[in-house]
Amino acid sequence: MRNWLVILGREYKTRVRRRAFIISTLLGPIIMVGFVALIVLFSQSQETNSKILVVDSSEILSFSINEKGQIPSCFECFPERDFLEYRFTTEPISEEEFLESDFTGMLEFDDGILQNSKALLQYETTPSMRVKSAIKRDLTEAVERLRVRMESDLDYETYKRLKVKIGLVTQDVETRDRNAENKSLVGWIFSMFMFMFIMIYGMHVMRGVIEEKSNRIVEVVVSIVKPEALMGAKVAGIGLVGITQILAWAVLSWLLFIGFGTYAESSGMLADIMIESGNTVSSTDLNTFMSSHEDLSFLMQINWLAMLGWGVFFYLGGFALYGSFFAAVGASVEQESDAQYLLLPVMLPLIFSYILNIQILEAPETTLATICSFVPFTSPITMMVRLSMGVPWYEVLISAVILVFTVYLMIKLAGRIYRTGIFMYGKKPSLLEMLKWLTYRNR
Amino acid sequence: MTITQPLALSLREVRKQYGDHLALDGVSVDVPQGSVFGLLGPNGAGKTTLIRMVAGITAPDSGEISFFGSPLEQSHIQNIGYLPEERGLYKNMRVGEQALYFACLRGMGRSEAEFELKDWFERLDVDGWWNKEVADLSKGMAQKIQFIVSILHKPKFLILDEPLSGFDPINAQRIKAEIKRLRDENGTTVLLSTHDMSSVDELCDNVALVNQGSKILEGRVDLLRENARAGRVDFKFKGNLIAFTAALGASAILYSVHSSENHVHDMVLGIPPDTPIEKFLKWATKEVDVLSCSPKTISMDEVFLRAVKKAES
Repeated sequence: MRNWLVILGREYKTRVRRRAFIISTLLGPIIMVGFVALIVLFSQSQETNSKILVVDSSEILSFSINEKGQIPSCFECFPERDFLEYRFTTEPISEEEFLESDFTGMLEFDDGILQNSKALLQYETTPSMRVKSAIKRDLTEAVERLRVRMESDLDYETYKRLKVKIGLVTQDVETRDRNAENKSLVGWIFSMFMFMFIMIYGMHVMRGVIEEKSNRIVEVVVSIVKPEALMGAKVAGIGLVGITQILAWAVLSWLLFIGFGTYAESSGMLADIMIESGNTVSSTDLNTFMSSHEDLSFLMQINWLAMLGWGVFFYLGGFALYGSFFAAVGASVEQESDAQYLLLPVMLPLIFSYILNIQILEAPETTLATICSFVPFTSPITMMVRLSMGVPWYEVLISAVILVFTVYLMIKLAGRIYRTGIFMYGKKPSLLEMLKWLTYRNR
Repeated sequence: MTITQPLALSLREVRKQYGDHLALDGVSVDVPQGSVFGLLGPNGAGKTTLIRMVAGITAPDSGEISFFGSPLEQSHIQNIGYLPEERGLYKNMRVGEQALYFACLRGMGRSEAEFELKDWFERLDVDGWWNKEVADLSKGMAQKIQFIVSILHKPKFLILDEPLSGFDPINAQRIKAEIKRLRDENGTTVLLSTHDMSSVDELCDNVALVNQGSKILEGRVDLLRENARAGRVDFKFKGNLIAFTAALGASAILYSVHSSENHVHDMVLGIPPDTPIEKFLKWATKEVDVLSCSPKTISMDEVFLRAVKKAES
């Protein structure tokens, strides 16, 4: 046991100290967040000069004239924004005239909009999501104001107070989980990381074994510890490197999120976004923002601690399972390029679970998804999606027990291939030969 | 009367088969305590298989291995030092750190290992290399580190497989001196596998010769040499060759003769085992002018070749 820890320690320390590991661990979340921020920034910078011409040929909106030209009587409903401005006209312009003008879009405001609530926006450059949703909001308010004035005695503020907007919350009767379909996305991201880490660190195991074999260090080490123990300690050590990175990323992402939230709160950015999206909540802290925002509220309902806890468990299980396979493959060859064809049987179930996950995301409660969350070769990846949506606890437990049992069995089998393979030099074994090694007695 | 020395290692009828290949076919070997025991044999004779069994890497299909009187088991590993023929170091570790790693694997505490390592690093002139990358080491330098790593935990039993390969003559001499010192000062038993017969002559007390999975010769180096000599003496005289040859008659066998000027002749003679060399000399001085007479020196190389040839015929 002492030696096991010595080996594990070496595997862990030599990897964690590597510059590449430190850089990727620290920069991983920053790069990811930076990437998203860059996309947002980029799309925002494109929106700055959206200029829409509203063509009100039927003179539905009543206008007054000021220094800017015609402005609608209900100027509240077309507010000025830094990324979007409106100009109004009652005279339709031709397409040529539009293309020559500095307008980026032309909106027809006619009877149709009152009758079937649809407006036509013609554009020169494709408007962004943000511009489109702003226009939609503005039009909605304008039409509402018109209707309220024409068809009732109410003033608009009273109407707004009376109007209700129902949000639909879905809930599973058994698990009492809400908005599971959104949550599955989080599970999916978890499982993608799972796939990624098993692959990356599995290859680390293989490379480590090949290094020991081709350097012949293995001869000295196995004279001190059993080959199976060496393999186990190596897989465990490298698995822990993966865990270190996962946890570091989780903590860093959380800090970045909190940091961003604090910044958004204090700079008034949140308040801006909330007002823009038509939300009228008194408090503008991050929590209120998250829970009031329909697309984000599910994030607050996810049991992050359970996800992370089970995530670590299933990662460890999955890694032990696949890692020992990678070790067996590494022991059977002398250089990495020879490992390609032997890796196929290891990669197939992994890739299968990856593809399956996309299916599960669309239809989370299929029989296939349920079965695969119990099969140990797919469960570490598949169960993460199901976990995020809520699974009965006993199902997770059964899946975990099956996984642990299979891991035990696989380490035994892979250990047999490993202990024979590490002393085989000179020829590339076939899969059939490797299976034969399972029956060899070495010690 | 034979004095039985206590044994460090004893193999009884050890057999090991890999697929169709019979690597060891009922080999028995006794290694006396506190001796350097040479394990000799051509390539593919089964030496590495035998060594791996003693090092605990593989187990025999049948037969027994006893270690200081009790059956060899995992717990004995801490008393064994092993320097394999094919050896290497981790490239991505520093020299000192790596030596410490192996010392810890051998059950040593960190501070004890550090102390011993510093001592050995100085002794073998590698003390400036503690913080260097392994990739920067020359072959000989890496060999020294590997040698240190295999003996650092002061094993009772040391297995050295071609320990001198890769060393220049000066450093080879140094390592040989260290091996002798380990035997003489620490009482370490050494199992030395090598092709370098000069080091066998210099270092080994006993040897076993393995060929094609079987032991064909075993014994004390001086006795094996004496046996291989088979009573032969180098005899140099001045006188009449024909008269002397005729006078020899059946009292000695003439193996070879080389004559030079002034009737000086070099002969290799075989004297029967029951005739003491003094008696022969007494007789010979009456016949001719004896210039020199000494037992023929037989190198282990010759013993080795002769035994292999005999086994193959």
